[in-house]
Amino acid sequence: MTSQIVQSVLAEAEKRGAKKVTEVHLVVGKLTFLGLEQVRFAYEALTKGTIMEGSKLIIVEQEGIVKCGHCDYEGGFKYVDDPLYHVPVPTLKCPKCGNVVSIVAGKECTIKSIKMMV
Amino acid sequence: MSEDLLEANRNLAEENRRFLQKNGVRAIDVMGAIGSGKTSLIEKLVQQLKSNYEIAVFKGDLTTTIDAELIARHGVKTVAINTGKECHLDANLVKKALLKLELKKLDVLFIENVGNLICPAEFPLGSDKRVVVISVTEGPYMVIKHPFIFMEADVVAINKVDLAKAMGVDVEQLEKDVKTVNPKTMVVATNCRTGKGVDDVAKALGF
Repeated sequence: MTSQIVQSVLAEAEKRGAKKVTEVHLVVGKLTFLGLEQVRFAYEALTKGTIMEGSKLIIVEQEGIVKCGHCDYEGGFKYVDDPLYHVPVPTLKCPKCGNVVSIVAGKECTIKSIKMMV
Repeated sequence: MSEDLLEANRNLAEENRRFLQKNGVRAIDVMGAIGSGKTSLIEKLVQQLKSNYEIAVFKGDLTTTIDAELIARHGVKTVAINTGKECHLDANLVKKALLKLELKKLDVLFIENVGNLICPAEFPLGSDKRVVVISVTEGPYMVIKHPFIFMEADVVAINKVDLAKAMGVDVEQLEKDVKTVNPKTMVVATNCRTGKGVDDVAKALGF
């Protein structure tokens, strides 16, 4: 994933004739399985020797958001916190009316903006 | 700039879905942990359905073709997709593998994902239905530890139920956990060695 990020940024920078990339802004959904610590580590390794070397990687996390087709609820997940479970478990139940919801945000990994020196 | 890197896979998956639909092929993605019984379930489903449907199977694995050969014994077209080191199939690998089939002649395609409850949830392939296989030998917390893959599932098979007592695992609780995470999924208790419950999986898949 991280090499895809780096490749995309490099391609964009090349298109614009940049000499150096200084900042990359990334939005990562909390429902993806990307480990941010690993992304940062890989980013540093993969950008070495490129015009992205030393650039800042700024990651904003996007909460998981669900939408209900029945009652129009839009917002966070309903979590079940049964003492039987060791952690609160996210569910596809609408927190308001209990019907099944669909996921509308939280699965993205988007490069929002890049700062570069042309 | 706004480029969703996971979107690329989702778009390819949509392409696959349209391509399969155009050719009248129902595709079923089978996911689950290593050793949970994905291959056994597909074998049993193939045995049951092959007289009425023309079936092919994609078998995702890191490097070997052992499982692909197990399935090929049943006389259906099997394509091994070796991912090398990747822990999941993606829409691009499936797209390439689709070129190896005569889709026009086909009714059903089973796609067995790499054994993993994490990454496959993130990479839709373009199938009509997604099945998750878990087994009681993986312990009682499989569902609540991996809620997101169950949100993707249309059908969940809880396999090896004959061993539940020996393992001290409560199958009903596992079923309840799946229903809690995803109320719209169908849960079936199976024993894929004997074929118990495989009928119900087929039914849940619309066969």
